[in-house]
Amino acid sequence: MTSTSSPSTKALSKIACNRLQKELAEWQVNPPFGFKHKISDNLQRWIIEVAGAPGTLYVSETYQLQVDFPEHYPMEAPQVIFLQPAPLHPHIYSNGHICLDILYDSWSPAMTVSSVCISILSMLSSSTVKQRPPDNDRYVRNCQNGRSPKETRWWFHDDKV
Amino acid sequence: MDSEDDDFHSGGTGMESDEGDADYGFVENDSDDSDDIIYHRHQNYTILGEHDIIRLQMEDINRVSQVLSMSRDDACILLRHYKWSVNRVHDEWFADEESVRKAVGLLEKPIEMPRSREMTCGICFEVYPCNRMRSAACGHHFCNSCWEGYIGTSINDGPGCLMLRCPDPDCSVAIGQGMINVVATEEDKKKYARYLLRSYIEDNRKTKWCPAPGCEFAVDFVLGSGSYDIICKCSHSFCWNCTEEAHRPVDCRTVARWILKNSTESENMNWILANSKPCPKCKRPIEKNQGCMHITCTPPCKFEFCWLCLGPWSDHGEKTGGFYACNRYEAAKQEGMYDETERRREMAKNSLERYTHYYERWATNQASRQKALSDLQDMQAVQLEKLSDKQNQPESQLKFIIEAWLQIVECRRVLKWTYAYGYYLPESEYAKREFFEYLQGEAESGLERLHQCAEKELQGFIEAEGPTKEFNDFRTKLAGLTSVTRNYFENLVRALETGLNDVGPSSHLAACSRTSGSGGSISRAKSGKSKVVRSSAFRPGGPSRSSSDDGTHWSCGRCTFVHVNPSNICQMCGHQRQTCAHPSDNQ
Ligand SMILES: [Zn+2]
Ligand SMILES: [Zn+2]
Ligand SMILES: [Zn+2]
Ligand SMILES: [Zn+2]
Ligand SMILES: [Zn+2]
Ligand SMILES: [Zn+2]
Ligand SMILES: [Zn+2]
Repeated sequence: MTSTSSPSTKALSKIACNRLQKELAEWQVNPPFGFKHKISDNLQRWIIEVAGAPGTLYVSETYQLQVDFPEHYPMEAPQVIFLQPAPLHPHIYSNGHICLDILYDSWSPAMTVSSVCISILSMLSSSTVKQRPPDNDRYVRNCQNGRSPKETRWWFHDDKV
Repeated sequence: MDSEDDDFHSGGTGMESDEGDADYGFVENDSDDSDDIIYHRHQNYTILGEHDIIRLQMEDINRVSQVLSMSRDDACILLRHYKWSVNRVHDEWFADEESVRKAVGLLEKPIEMPRSREMTCGICFEVYPCNRMRSAACGHHFCNSCWEGYIGTSINDGPGCLMLRCPDPDCSVAIGQGMINVVATEEDKKKYARYLLRSYIEDNRKTKWCPAPGCEFAVDFVLGSGSYDIICKCSHSFCWNCTEEAHRPVDCRTVARWILKNSTESENMNWILANSKPCPKCKRPIEKNQGCMHITCTPPCKFEFCWLCLGPWSDHGEKTGGFYACNRYEAAKQEGMYDETERRREMAKNSLERYTHYYERWATNQASRQKALSDLQDMQAVQLEKLSDKQNQPESQLKFIIEAWLQIVECRRVLKWTYAYGYYLPESEYAKREFFEYLQGEAESGLERLHQCAEKELQGFIEAEGPTKEFNDFRTKLAGLTSVTRNYFENLVRALETGLNDVGPSSHLAACSRTSGSGGSISRAKSGKSKVVRSSAFRPGGPSRSSSDDGTHWSCGRCTFVHVNPSNICQMCGHQRQTCAHPSDNQ
């Protein structure tokens, strides 16, 4: 159903399983504000609903994030993309890839799905224009055969917007 | 590169500003110091093996650790951040300690987190007794297996692990080798140590790895100390500045231009690179299999000819411009009687012709150098032992042969680069070109003489039935040739590096220095242009020569070989002993 297939998935390691179960349990008790985890029995792929925050360009819009976890999560970062239609935003490509450093180079295993969600929402909320990144078409064309955003060498724009 | 390159064409003394007072040491050298191999210069670099690198790195770390009174771990982090420059660490630190600490991720004091009996790991979220948790100075605790995973992932990602920070997203405290050595797997520790070692060489401005494939030595270079030539312990010689193979006497910019030129011309060059040429007499293809340019066709033809110009070898004597020499572009043009030159004539007016001349000689010397290198290896591995048996000589007494071969290898290298030099020497600089070609011709014939002796004459002694009494004469001759050739080439390199500035208008020296039919005088007479003057500082032997000319011994005016017998012909090169005394030499 998405243009980007899941990364060549290897089953989660035992450590990753344990950690994700703990994250999920914590999420159910204390979900980040504005996010809803769609119940499924697939621990390795989470679908999360995001609601645009009041007072921002995205108020009363909802989007869906797809989070795929690698075998060695959390030592390796999860792959996080927006499902179609992705929000119009200067750091979000039309194929759903997100240009956000913590998803790639700046990932730390002490981060969680929840903290990633909060960062994405704050990125959305601080936007002042609804538009695609300037290199959107070229980038999306280059990703056509299902390349993961984790294979992209990202060059992060500023972190204000 | 800086302006010194721009002086190249105008003949400026490029290296002078750097090297004006460098001591080359060879002016005073007599021809019998066979213990020194190749160069006598003060060495301005050190070759480092792995142990040396570790020791130096350790010393630097200890120094910073003592001066700034901090742990060796922290000192190491600081040094790496400032590219292993102890001075820079000290300067930055004493200028603004606080911002250095911030940039590098070093805390002044470790932060004591309140420790309960049990703690939750910030990565796996498991609860552990506090003795199974650890933290860096920032006090962010994680369990041992999460540390191991965190560090292992980073190490396997590459050298970025040297800049590792605390896993806590809001903390930027640096994680040093101390933590690595406590929690990482043995394999990861080794990898980390390897990266640290590499960083010490690669990030440091004054060190580099030897560029030879598979070589693990590094060079510690004294910055701003002049000559860029490095000879690694693996025997590879290269330029510190551009890491191409050593290319004295030409400068890095010329080398880069020449290499680019070769790659763009390489298609045109294919026909030249063919390894065989037809024998000029019987037309059968001949493969050049020896290092020297003197080729003898297989029986029954046995025609002896020169590989470069395909002319009869018998022509390569005094009358064609120097013993064994075959260097002159002008001469090659006039030898229109050979097929090869005929063909090139047809490419005439085309700049390719000129390039071809230089390129072919450059490439031939390169190939000869490779051949000499493998001959040298063969000599060391096999032949020397054979010779030692045959001639009843301990191998320690045969060092002179290895030295001869080392000298040949080095000379081929220099000679090769003189062709790139010649290519870029402007046609308009008549006097310099003439002088250059003369020097090159002499160098070439000197080297051919040495090569002949070390290759063909030596073979006779290896194949001999038993000890020959001529062997001692051979020793004297080869050692003498080695030393004479070394002298000559060192002077040649120096003359080219200083832009041939010893050339000036006519004077007494020009008139009397070479009257007996050497190539220099022939080409001078032919061109009829400005006369060539060489100051006595250049001439092999230099000013010290005349003082040895005291009747008991004399040194050859061409090759500098010192003779003790009263003969009038040089044993080495056949040159006539000269009786004309130069006023400047004759105090
Ligand atoms: Zn843990
Ligand atoms: Zn920390
Ligand atoms: Zn080496
Ligand atoms: Zn160079
Ligand atoms: Zn023949
Ligand atoms: Zn010739
Ligand atoms: Zn001589």
